[in-house]
Amino acid sequence: MFELDVRSRKPIYEQLVERLKELIITEVLTADEQLPSVRTLAHQLTINPNTIQKAYRELESQGYIYSIKGKGSFVSPATPNLNREKIEKVKSELSKLLSEAIYLGITKDELFNMIQELEAAIGGGIEDDQNP
Amino acid sequence: MIKIRNVRKSFEEMEAVENVSIEVNNGSIYGLLGSNGAGKTTLLKLLAGIYVEDEGYVAIDGQPVFENPVIKERIFFIQDHPYFLPQYTVKQMAQFYQNIYSRWDDGRFEELAAIFEMDIHKKIHRFSKGIQRQAAFILALSARPEVLILDEPMDGLDPVMRKKVKSLLIDEVAEREMTILISSHNLREVEDLCDFIGIMHKGRMILEKDLDDLKTDTHKIQVAFKVSVPAIFDPLKILHKEKRGSIMICIVKGDAKEISSYVEQFKPVIFDMLPLTLEEIFIYEMGDIGYAVQNILG
Repeated sequence: MFELDVRSRKPIYEQLVERLKELIITEVLTADEQLPSVRTLAHQLTINPNTIQKAYRELESQGYIYSIKGKGSFVSPATPNLNREKIEKVKSELSKLLSEAIYLGITKDELFNMIQELEAAIGGGIEDDQNP
Repeated sequence: MIKIRNVRKSFEEMEAVENVSIEVNNGSIYGLLGSNGAGKTTLLKLLAGIYVEDEGYVAIDGQPVFENPVIKERIFFIQDHPYFLPQYTVKQMAQFYQNIYSRWDDGRFEELAAIFEMDIHKKIHRFSKGIQRQAAFILALSARPEVLILDEPMDGLDPVMRKKVKSLLIDEVAEREMTILISSHNLREVEDLCDFIGIMHKGRMILEKDLDDLKTDTHKIQVAFKVSVPAIFDPLKILHKEKRGSIMICIVKGDAKEISSYVEQFKPVIFDMLPLTLEEIFIYEMGDIGYAVQNILG
């Protein structure tokens, strides 16, 4: 389903949580879809089943998934804070890139033009995003 | 559940294990790390019932291990140099273990021999070191132990075999809650396998913790300021600090978010925060107790 970077400094459990969140946010995993069992995932990724268990518990406490005893874990249909979390992440990445851009001498107007061009290309509207 | 409580073991003058206590839950993979001569192997041998403790107790599911065949039948120990009876073939070793381990699974033995493409009718001592180790794994897993004790298990195995062995071990843990105790110097190896680690030094346990907790509460930060470094670090819990040019590198304990919001209020020009690798944790924890990596160029 996905690969983890065992060379990364990030704890595997955190990587797992992030990856699964990503899959849920991007709706690769849809509402009420069953997640692979701990055993299957442990086998596929060759990582400790306890780590996977822990990641699932974390996702459950954050409301991304729910579990049914004896059946397994499933994607929650309602995940209200999905967007907010993603927006926070994008904002922090943007501010890093923007400060680099400013440092390199890109002007405010140039940046603004870029934004306008991108907006035109994607064609998204604010209202649409808020009422999907 | 493995319980080792206040265990002490000495050999003549040398105290190999001093007052060590550990607990390992069923289905956990426990990594035992430590400096050379820290007493890891002694501790494993105590757990396997090869040595008898001088003080304290070693128990599995509440029963002492030493000279207790009922418990020992549920343990398999692969030593750092696997031992086989002289002149025995893999098949003969299997027959030998079959008489000892009542839960021995012949079907599993055949299956594993096929997975490793092992010639079971060949004498083990004629195999290379790596193949001998593979044979040890085949025998160990066929005995269906509840507790598997591994002393430097990946020694001599090539990367393909390591991966194979790892995934076999993980399957056993996931499917039937086998407990694994693994000692290793190869920190990379245990990093993605273990959920709990213990670090030993000079016979004592100096640190024992959930691996993820350990990694989420220790961080490496790199900071640089435009003006000279303000004395901002005092409120932080710093394990290690060094200066490389105008960049400060610190090892800090604490919550990642709190640390970064604290440091950011001083407007650093560079601010990076990285989780530590197990190797770094090991080195800094060891340095903390005076077992530092000496700078050769000093």
